[in-house]
Amino acid sequence: MNQWLEDVIAHADTQAAGHAGATWLSRQRALSLDKLKDNAWPTRRTEAWRNTPLKPIESRPALLSPMAISTWQEPAIPDFESIDIYIVGGELKTDISTLSLPAGISIYSLHDEKAAALASQFMGKIKPETHVFGLVNDVVADAGIIIDVAEDAVISTPLRLIHTATEGVENHSRLLVNVAKNAKVTILEHGIGEQESMNTSVSEFNVADNATLHHYRFAFFTQKALHVGGCHFQIGESSYLNSTIVAFGSELSKLNVDVNYLGEHAKVDMNAMYLLAEGENFDLQSVIEHAVPNGTTDEKVRGIIGDRARANFGGRIHIHPDAQKTLAELNNRNLLLSRRSLVNTKPELEIYADDVRCAHGATIAEIDETSLYYLLTRGIPRSKALVMLNFGFIQELINAIEDESIRNWLNNMLSNRFQSMEVQVS
Amino acid sequence: MLSIQNLHAGIEDKSIIKGIDLTINPGEVHAIMGPNGSGKSTLGYVLSGRDGYEVTEGSATLNGEDLLDMDIEERAVAGFFLAFQYPVEIPGVSNMVFMKEAVNAAREARKQEPYTAGEFLKLAKEACKQVQLPLDFLKRGVNEGFSGGEKKRNEIMQMILLQPTICFLDETDSGLDIDALQTVANGVNSQRDPNRSFVVVTHYQRLLDFIEPDFVHILADGKIVQSGDASLALKVEKEGYGFLGINYVEEDV
Repeated sequence: MNQWLEDVIAHADTQAAGHAGATWLSRQRALSLDKLKDNAWPTRRTEAWRNTPLKPIESRPALLSPMAISTWQEPAIPDFESIDIYIVGGELKTDISTLSLPAGISIYSLHDEKAAALASQFMGKIKPETHVFGLVNDVVADAGIIIDVAEDAVISTPLRLIHTATEGVENHSRLLVNVAKNAKVTILEHGIGEQESMNTSVSEFNVADNATLHHYRFAFFTQKALHVGGCHFQIGESSYLNSTIVAFGSELSKLNVDVNYLGEHAKVDMNAMYLLAEGENFDLQSVIEHAVPNGTTDEKVRGIIGDRARANFGGRIHIHPDAQKTLAELNNRNLLLSRRSLVNTKPELEIYADDVRCAHGATIAEIDETSLYYLLTRGIPRSKALVMLNFGFIQELINAIEDESIRNWLNNMLSNRFQSMEVQVS
Repeated sequence: MLSIQNLHAGIEDKSIIKGIDLTINPGEVHAIMGPNGSGKSTLGYVLSGRDGYEVTEGSATLNGEDLLDMDIEERAVAGFFLAFQYPVEIPGVSNMVFMKEAVNAAREARKQEPYTAGEFLKLAKEACKQVQLPLDFLKRGVNEGFSGGEKKRNEIMQMILLQPTICFLDETDSGLDIDALQTVANGVNSQRDPNRSFVVVTHYQRLLDFIEPDFVHILADGKIVQSGDASLALKVEKEGYGFLGINYVEEDV
């Protein structure tokens, strides 16, 4: 066993002996701890981790004692109003009891007994057990929130959970969201930081019948901030999930996304972008389970990979025997900015029903020299032309973002990021 | 304005342009005709600075400045415009954003304030109407899904907006029906100006019925073998290049 996992298990054992946390939380931690102990730690031979070596995690101690941190990054999105909740240094920094919340929404901490019914029903049950770091998060995440959106509630103010990496302490954050029947809500998960640290963030979403969830996940962990996260959704009949994922890369950054169709006539639009600057790594694994008929998935994934950066994408759409009339499309396109950029992509369709319409594909391209030449002949400066061509590549996904403030903010931020990225056109 | 002297150029080890001398004064329209493979498009690429085209001898100056020493984008802001024979499709980059960046780059070079989005939209709409493209073409990706004729109209729209001093039109008439040809020619004629010159590369006299050239040059095997007035184009149209005694191998460069 490696140092880090040993520390995690020792920490969990101590915590279990002290019966910390709410009853349901202790129960779940105990269950997950057993599984974690039994679960084989992934190696390079484990398919899901083949291209993302765990060495940066294995060689470090697990720093799990919360640190009283008083200052942290507060990432502002101009002209965007949201209810912000911070998790920093393993602690919930926002006093959720003082938040003024719109009618129809309740927020609980992980230690709130009032959330027991909801937690017992969904917590740890939406995410697949196969994710080792999901189990790790089960046993070590102490800071987290449970959001309950009541039936028929339409919440216009978005909620944003911000988790920031800090040096000297790990940040393990947890989120459970229940969007009850006919309800509608927007949730942002905003991860950020570059300090040397290990971070996990696991979120589970139950989108009930006829409910709508607009979801954003920004995984902006860079440099020495290691990150393994998960977004796991289960969606009911005639529900709608719109998820936008934007990721940068760090020494090790990985995100698992799972969607499980529980009811018919549900629809998922998922747009993911990873934009890796020099030397960054990012790994996105998505699994869509069409277990029932008449589901519709449209998943678009675009990656721009800088010099010596490495991206890994695995996208699986699994259509179960009963899932007739499924419409599913998965498309991954990558743009390599240098001869030393690397991407591994593996879109997979596994179909056991015969009356479905599915498509999948992946492309890998370099900056098109003829396009660049064309822009230059119009007098557009080279650096700007490269940004335009890069942006052309992801613009479709940015334009698809409904919220204008988020769209403008991403446009500016990503444009600045591109301008600092070195591009070699060969 | 544009002065080309003893220009030799090629791609890799292949010599394509083998000594071109050409002087273009302000306000003039020069037509270049010639068989396939004679170096017409290559001349456009070399003057625009395309990668891979190497100048082995000679010079080209624009208003006294060494054109060949400039980067591609510098040549553009210095006033050189190339209308592509095959305009490039760039999905995801809106035509509007593309043209605004281009026009503002030229304005910045001239120390003028960049146009605001509103100011530019007005100009772009006018130019769009002038080349008879529907206004929604401004919002579409650059040349994305445009027909051959629409792409050529889009080239002329860019030319109108960029206000270059020398316009090199590379077979802008190829693939155009007679109405589109008329529109494109009108676009060009509307830009004729005592301070602006044109080089019109074409295979067909028809375009020159609409855009009347001051000079016609026949390019063969990388050299100008004959120059004359508009009547030379008529002669080529009637007799082909045989009268020049050109033996050429048909090939596309």
